[in-house]
Amino acid sequence: MAVAEKMRKPPMGGIGKRVAYYPGCSLEGAARAYDVSTRIVAKELGLELDYLEDYNCCGAMETKNVTFWGTMLLNARNMSLAKKQGHNVIVAPCNGCSFSLQRAEYFLETDKKVFERVNELLKEGGVDPLTEIPHTYHILEWFYHEAGPEKVRERTKKPLRGLKVANYYGCLYTRPHFYARTYSHTGTEEQERPRMRETADDDEHPYYMEALLEAAGATSVEFEPMHTQCCGGPHSLSDEQVSEKFVMMILQTAKRNGADIIATECPLCHASLEMYRHRLMMKGVPDVDVPAAYFTQLLGLAFGYSANDVKLKDNLSDPLLVLKRLGLA
Amino acid sequence: MAIHERSLVEPERILRKERLVIDGVDVSGDWNLIILPRVIEDYDLSFLDEVLEQPEGKTILQCYQCSYCTASCPVHNYWDERYNPRHFIHLARLGLVDELQKRADVMWRCVSCHKCTHRCPKGVLVEEVLKAILRVMAKRGLIDEYPSKKFDKFFLESVYEYGRIEDGELLFGWIEKQGYQVVKDPILKKPIPLFGGIPEWLKQLAMKPIKNFNIDFLILNAKHMLFHPRTKNWNRFKQVLRKVMEEEGVFSH
Repeated sequence: MAVAEKMRKPPMGGIGKRVAYYPGCSLEGAARAYDVSTRIVAKELGLELDYLEDYNCCGAMETKNVTFWGTMLLNARNMSLAKKQGHNVIVAPCNGCSFSLQRAEYFLETDKKVFERVNELLKEGGVDPLTEIPHTYHILEWFYHEAGPEKVRERTKKPLRGLKVANYYGCLYTRPHFYARTYSHTGTEEQERPRMRETADDDEHPYYMEALLEAAGATSVEFEPMHTQCCGGPHSLSDEQVSEKFVMMILQTAKRNGADIIATECPLCHASLEMYRHRLMMKGVPDVDVPAAYFTQLLGLAFGYSANDVKLKDNLSDPLLVLKRLGLA
Repeated sequence: MAIHERSLVEPERILRKERLVIDGVDVSGDWNLIILPRVIEDYDLSFLDEVLEQPEGKTILQCYQCSYCTASCPVHNYWDERYNPRHFIHLARLGLVDELQKRADVMWRCVSCHKCTHRCPKGVLVEEVLKAILRVMAKRGLIDEYPSKKFDKFFLESVYEYGRIEDGELLFGWIEKQGYQVVKDPILKKPIPLFGGIPEWLKQLAMKPIKNFNIDFLILNAKHMLFHPRTKNWNRFKQVLRKVMEEEGVFSH
């Protein structure tokens, strides 16, 4: 495996203005607000999302624990669909989805046996086999690199003045470096971090969301190290005690550092924060009443869209109250 | 005397005396504690082979036990000290299967945050390796059906059946599996939120869109709950998935 890792060439250069958009199951249901606001932000920033027709679930963090080959197949099918639509780049707004696709990318690239077997199985299942493996990026990375803070500043009509934001990135946005390619331990010092891709965020101290929201007029509060602390993730339903404690730590840190709102970029983290926030408040735990909103919703507001346009009502943690108090919605 | 690596010493092997006199010399205070030695003879070397057979388990041999993974692990730091990824890898490589079994109650707690994998200086896919170890343990019947595995399977069923998941079904289906009483409509047998014995927090959250008059959100989710979103032409692909999963023994354990 180690040798194969060295053979792996990272995608260098830009990502492209027009990409395949893999929304994932959540964004078409309970996390509709993220989908709607993402489309708004992409339109405003002059970027084009090409909806991946007839995609299937990526398997998230769950199926990989039960079946390795099944999960590979699920993701390879999506990759094949993207290729069919003529794309070499997939963009996913969900940490889980981008993780799954990048994980499949890793195993397909480093293990020839996996690649060959998956292609055979794809043919059997009536899907075009993969000749080239498309690369997957998180949507935040795409916004930052293809538009960037400058463009956000240019587009901002109603700056988020006075809004103190805690930027919550979650686990899998920059981790692990094998899949997200934010960092590599292998490689010499002359070629600094050679296996890292050009557009990747800082692995331990991500700052893309912070940069975009600050360009839109918001103020970021200190949120390390909770900005990449796990929210319970795949265990948010099956291991309630642990998830509750993790979410409590995240919310309390945000509140005590003076945040009005937590900006999220993953529907699962978002749902987990909102769900446990409510439960913690019912229990009377102090300092947990910070609401959560997707970073695209906040950007949408800054671009002059109404609270209804970015579906702020969908958020179960009522960020509208805070935003109204500050005169932003 | 302090005991290092407390997790390796069972309480019944610790002998402690209030006063200890040896050959007329009072040595209590310094030497009043003895740990009985233990003999290990159940090294099961085939365990490692089985982990290596899993595609994710291949990197287990690169580990040099620096414990970076354990130091990073949120479950270890914030929940249970006994959850120790480095130690699990060590035990799996030695083939100390019954030591692993003793830790079965915490081993499933990994939240897949991948801090361990990310920070490992040796390129071990720690999270994946631990999942491979768990899978081998499950195959051998060393670990009971743990909650997260139940959820993983429940999730997989939904993906396998429709090609996509649906949040409402996942949430209420899981609540029902936990033993709560969920009211269903008589025709399509789909759960109706707000009624029945579902937990209070869930009732209150389900009420929120109604209180907010968020009509289109309600309609969208009701539609999805009644008519599960599907991937087109899924059946042919499903056959392949079934074949692969049968080979892996997903249906048998």
